[in-house]
Formats: sequence, structure tokens, C-alpha cells
Amino acid sequence: MSAALSGEDRAESIRMIRDSAAAVAPPGGDMKRVRDLRFQTPGFDPAILRQMGEMGWIGLRLPEASGGAGLGLGEACALAEELGGALVPEPLIPAMLTGSLLAAVGAGPLERVLTGESLVLTAWQERPDTLEVPGSPDAARRFLPMAAGAASFLLPVREGGRIALYEQQAGAGLTTEQTQDGGHLGTLEPNLGTATRIADDIGEALSLALDEAALLTSAYLLGGMDRAFAMTLDYLKTRQQFGKIIGTFQALQHKAADVKMQIALTRASIEAAAATLDAGATGDARRAVISRAKSRAASSSMLVTRECIQLHGGIGYTDQYDVGLYLRKAMVMANQYGSATLHRRRFMAVSPEVEE
Amino acid sequence: MDAIRIPAPAELDALDDEHFRQVVRAFLHENYPDDLRNPPKRLHWDENRPWYMKLAERGWLCPGWPKEHEGLGLSPAKQIILTEEYERYGVARTNDHGIVMLGPLVIKYGTEEQKQRFLPKILTGEHIWCQGYSEPNAGSDLAALRTEAVLDGDEYVVNGQKIWTTLATDANWIFLLVRTDKQAKKQEGISFLLVDMKTPGITVRPIINLEMHDEFCEVFFDNVRVPKENLVGQLNKGWDMAKALLGFERIFLGSPRQSGYALSRLKILAERMGVWEDAEFQDRYARLRLEFEDLKALYGTFVERLKRGESLGPDVSMLKILQTELFQAITDTMLEIGGENAGLLEPMEGNRDLNIGGLFIQARPATIYGGSNEIQRNILSKNVLGLPG
Repeated sequence: MSAALSGEDRAESIRMIRDSAAAVAPPGGDMKRVRDLRFQTPGFDPAILRQMGEMGWIGLRLPEASGGAGLGLGEACALAEELGGALVPEPLIPAMLTGSLLAAVGAGPLERVLTGESLVLTAWQERPDTLEVPGSPDAARRFLPMAAGAASFLLPVREGGRIALYEQQAGAGLTTEQTQDGGHLGTLEPNLGTATRIADDIGEALSLALDEAALLTSAYLLGGMDRAFAMTLDYLKTRQQFGKIIGTFQALQHKAADVKMQIALTRASIEAAAATLDAGATGDARRAVISRAKSRAASSSMLVTRECIQLHGGIGYTDQYDVGLYLRKAMVMANQYGSATLHRRRFMAVSPEVEE
Repeated sequence: MDAIRIPAPAELDALDDEHFRQVVRAFLHENYPDDLRNPPKRLHWDENRPWYMKLAERGWLCPGWPKEHEGLGLSPAKQIILTEEYERYGVARTNDHGIVMLGPLVIKYGTEEQKQRFLPKILTGEHIWCQGYSEPNAGSDLAALRTEAVLDGDEYVVNGQKIWTTLATDANWIFLLVRTDKQAKKQEGISFLLVDMKTPGITVRPIINLEMHDEFCEVFFDNVRVPKENLVGQLNKGWDMAKALLGFERIFLGSPRQSGYALSRLKILAERMGVWEDAEFQDRYARLRLEFEDLKALYGTFVERLKRGESLGPDVSMLKILQTELFQAITDTMLEIGGENAGLLEPMEGNRDLNIGGLFIQARPATIYGGSNEIQRNILSKNVLGLPG
């Protein structure tokens, strides 16, 4: 499988996936599509989600036997990064999470999920800022991204010592709240009476899928901060004040250098995590590298996008100017699948001692 | 460990990386004096000499020199492994300016006669070199240096002053950047000159630094007469030569090792002070740990580039900034949790692992030397980000 790829083959495979991302996230493309979808329902284009399915992205990580592409996290992170750069609103990461879960249990609407025909969201979360899945049968399931576009929801439900999985069709019981990036988050009231039980022990598969979603979210944020910074550099090289290009001012140069270093650390952290997992790390070793990457991406995405606004000055504070879109996206995604604090704490709980 | 055979020096470069690493470990285990591991201060020649001579005797003294000049001829990737293992073992830095700076420069730019005259004496430890670059008015702006060398017959007459000359009191030779053309643009009037420190007119004065250590010196030149055959390379090309020599070794300024050492001491201190379990401390420690881990990952990407045979770009400045500022942040935290012990001149309870003030002070110059972090940020802005001016 892909995990065994040599360094060179992997680099080539990652380059190909980046190129293919251009189908949805064309380099140099404008933000018109993204802006048109903001604050609309369902907030994304189902046709693009199907296109993602056709391109094999939703099943990118799954083995070919499950209808996937059999690629590694290195490739998946590269893809998420490209999409983050273009602020692509389609909920690819939640769809991939559901795909992983269904492939692991070998049941449920896997095919419709992988083709992008249906958006099926895994409704695992009962409270903010957590990676834990209590699986309460009657607790509202919260923070469901793009829930208004979902055909059905998967509900983990604790039964004794195990967590079973139910599928509840969309319809009654869903409320939504708009988010800063123009999307929305849904809250779902479970109705297990009408739901279909599709698997009876998904605990381990779900925790793995949540970890991968946390890493992909980090990569998406990386793409966003990288692009926001590129826009900012262009601005620093053209804007004039006091008769000079503002990029000649050392105060701004050093701020820009600091931003660059944060982005470099984030990339190194994410790539190290992906490589560690692709090399087969499990358990605490897996959790440690993922928590490292997510805490880094969460805090640096906020730092970088904030600084990008500041370096732009007044124009950066207008909704019309695109750099603000990146700040608003970071506000929404930085805390998904665990905030920086949560992941720092988890890192300390699972990581080994400092290796001198 | 003892089972590993240490091959002849000429064979080392051909080993695969992991085998080579094991050989270096075995070599250190076998040869390095235990009492010199992790010294709290830069050692002087009298302390370094036995290890220097041991390296010389075993043929390990000059890892980067080509084999034809009795070096190990190691690739950059192998030199990094060697350095990593030296750092891990806590090997003290020796008086290495001849090995690291002057030797490679003479090999690259020197005449055959200069090679014959200078290289063997580095290998035998007869010549201990120091580096005369910085001046009181040429620190970060090094090209502004004013120590001048004026040709008078067959000799250059040198006048001026150098400063921050590391271990000059130990050295018997100094390599200098000197001004040889005052009319030219500042980078274009500089030459590279080798000077015997016994020449009349040279005065060396140690500077006591914040560590209360005399590692740095001032060196004064008062009508010092230097034979003109001691000029290396072309006249007025010294700046380019010195710059060309700043190769992959820049990566070592960003090695995370100092931070790793400091972090583990921070933990020992936190446990001793009874704050280890404290939630606020845990969060601070976690942030430092994560900085360290991600810096290691970033450092690793640069090492990978070297292993692929690529040269390093100006973005290597990131490592230096991140490592040195992290080292400081860790020692800042030590100072804060140490209470009154933070102000002690000697390690707390006589325990070198609890050397709060010492480590804090050691962390200070890191953001200044090797191109201050402000200079490094200028480099990033201009040469990596392409910002103007």
C-alpha cells in the first residue's frame, strides 16, 4: 500500500494530488464562487461534492477493496491544504470521516458517501471542544458542519461497553446556526426510534477517524494561512505610504518574517505527523503527533490570519477584501476536532519524555 | 556498544548512515573523557588539548576536509550525523577555528605553498587559530570593518582592532578580514590575511562576559608587519571568500539540541521546586515542548535537503531564530519558577542540573552571535520573502 512508498514515489504522488486539486481549487482563481455560497443554504455546491467523489477524494484514504484510492495521509494532507488555500466550502473532511467509519465497519451507505452522491455526517459531538464520544442516546448532537445539506446522520450510541452506530435520516430535529465563514453548524435531536442500527462496535474506528480529521483540518488551515500570507506579501510589495513601499519598513518586515516561521513550523509539524502515521504509528504515538500538529495549526492559523489583517491595515478590515475570508475561516476551523489547548493537554498526556 | 568495530578513517564515508552513527557512538564511548561531558562553559586549550590530540591521533580531527588533506572527507549528511552524536554525548567544542574555518578556506583558495605550510600544523595542533572578523564598529554590519593592511615592500602593515575574538588567548595564529582598499565599495575592499600572533605589535585582552568567563577577547594591531605571502586568495576578494565559506554549517546554529538540554533541566527544576504538577506550569511546559518538537521537525526537513545533496538557502535563518529564542524562553521559565535560587551565582544545591542562572545567561548571546536574530529576520524578509529595500 501507499504507506510503503519510497520517499521519491511519495513526493511524486503528493505532487499529483496537488495538481488534481486544481479541478476544484484553481491556482489564482478568485473567490467569487466562495463568496456566492456564503450565508446560503446549504452553503456548498452538491455538484462539487459529487465531483470530489468522482475524483476519488472522499475515499482517498480507504483501501481499494472498500472503493477507495488507497493513498496515505501525506496525500490527504496535501489535498486538504490545497482546498484550504482556496477556502473550498464543500465539507470534504467530514465526508471523509464518515467514509472511514463506514469502511471500517463494512456497513451503511458507504457507496453513496464515497461518490459524493449524499452528504452523510457523523454526529458524534455532544459538547464543545472535545474528542470524546459519550454516545448518549438522547443528547443533542452538535456542531455539525453544513448539516442543512446532509441526507442522513450517523449517531454513535453507547450500548454497554461498546459504541454502536445508527443512521438517522435528515428531516425533523435539525436546527442550524450560521458561522463566521458563511457556513453553518447544525444541532440534531436524536430519534433512535426511527433510526437504523448499522454497526455495533465503532469506538476504535471513530477515534482513529477523528484523529485523521483533526490532522486534515490542520492541513486545511495551513493552506489558508499560506495563501493569506501570500496575499499579504503582495500587498507589502505594492502599497506605498510616506513615499515608500511599506514592505521596506523593518517593523513590518520582521512581523512578516515571524509569520513565515509560524507557517514553516506548521508545515513541518503536519508533514511529520502524516509521515509518522503513514509509517504505521498507532496508539499514543499517533495521538502525540496529531495533537502536536493540530495545536500548532490552531494557534498559528489564528496568529497568521490576525497578522495578515494587521499588515493590510484598514483594507484588511473590509469584507470586500479577501484576506478577511481567511481569518473568518480560521475562526471556524481552528477549534474543530479539538482546540489548541485541548491538544496541548492531550500531547502532554500521551507524549514520551523529551529526547535530548 | 563495544562490539562495534571502528573502521579506518578513510573508510568512514562509505558506511551507511545508521552504521556510521553507531561507529561514532562507539568512538566517543571509547575515547571521549567522561569528565568533559556537557561542560558548563566553553573550554580553554589546556582543557581541550587531550581530546584535540586524541582526535588528531585517530585521524578524526577534520571531518569535512577532503581525504587528500588527511580529512575524513565526509558528506554534509554524515557531518550532520557526526555533530548530532557529538552533541548527544555532550562533547565540548574544541578550539576548532582552524578545522572549521581556516582549513576549508585555505583548501579552497590557498596556494599550494600555503596548503603545505598551514594544513599539517592544524592537524598536529601546532597552530591554534582564532578568527578576527568583528570590530567595535563592525558587528552586525561586518563589512564596515576598518582594520587596515597597507602594503610596504614585501609586507602588509596592519593597524586596527578586532573584538569578540573567541579564545584568542589560546591561539597562536589569527585569520583576519582587513581593509585593503578604502576607496572601493565596502565589501569590495576587504582581503583575507593570516597573522602569526607572536608578531610584534599585537596585544590580546580578554573580555569577561556575563558568564564571568573570558571566552572572548579584543585583539589590537599596532603596525604589525605581515609577509605578503600570508594573503589568501585575491586581493580585495576576502569578503566573497568569507561568505562562500558559510556553507551548510549554518544549520548547526539552529540545532535543537541546546533547547532539548534546557527543557529536560526545566523539568528537573520544576519537580525540585514542586511546581511540576501545577496546571499553569504544565501548560507553559507543554507550549515549550511543542515548540521544541516542531523545531525538531523543521530542522529535520533541512537535514533531508542536505541528504538529497541540495544546498541550503537563506531560509535556514529560520532555524537559528527559532532555536535561540526557544532556548531563551525555556531559561526564562526556569528563572521564573526558581524563586530566589534564580539569582544564585553557582548551581542550586551544587547540582549542575539545577543551574538556573548559569543556563539563563548562557542563552543570552545565542540571539546575538552568528548574525543577530534581527539580522536573520532581515535576511528572511529580503532573501526569502522578497520584500524590498
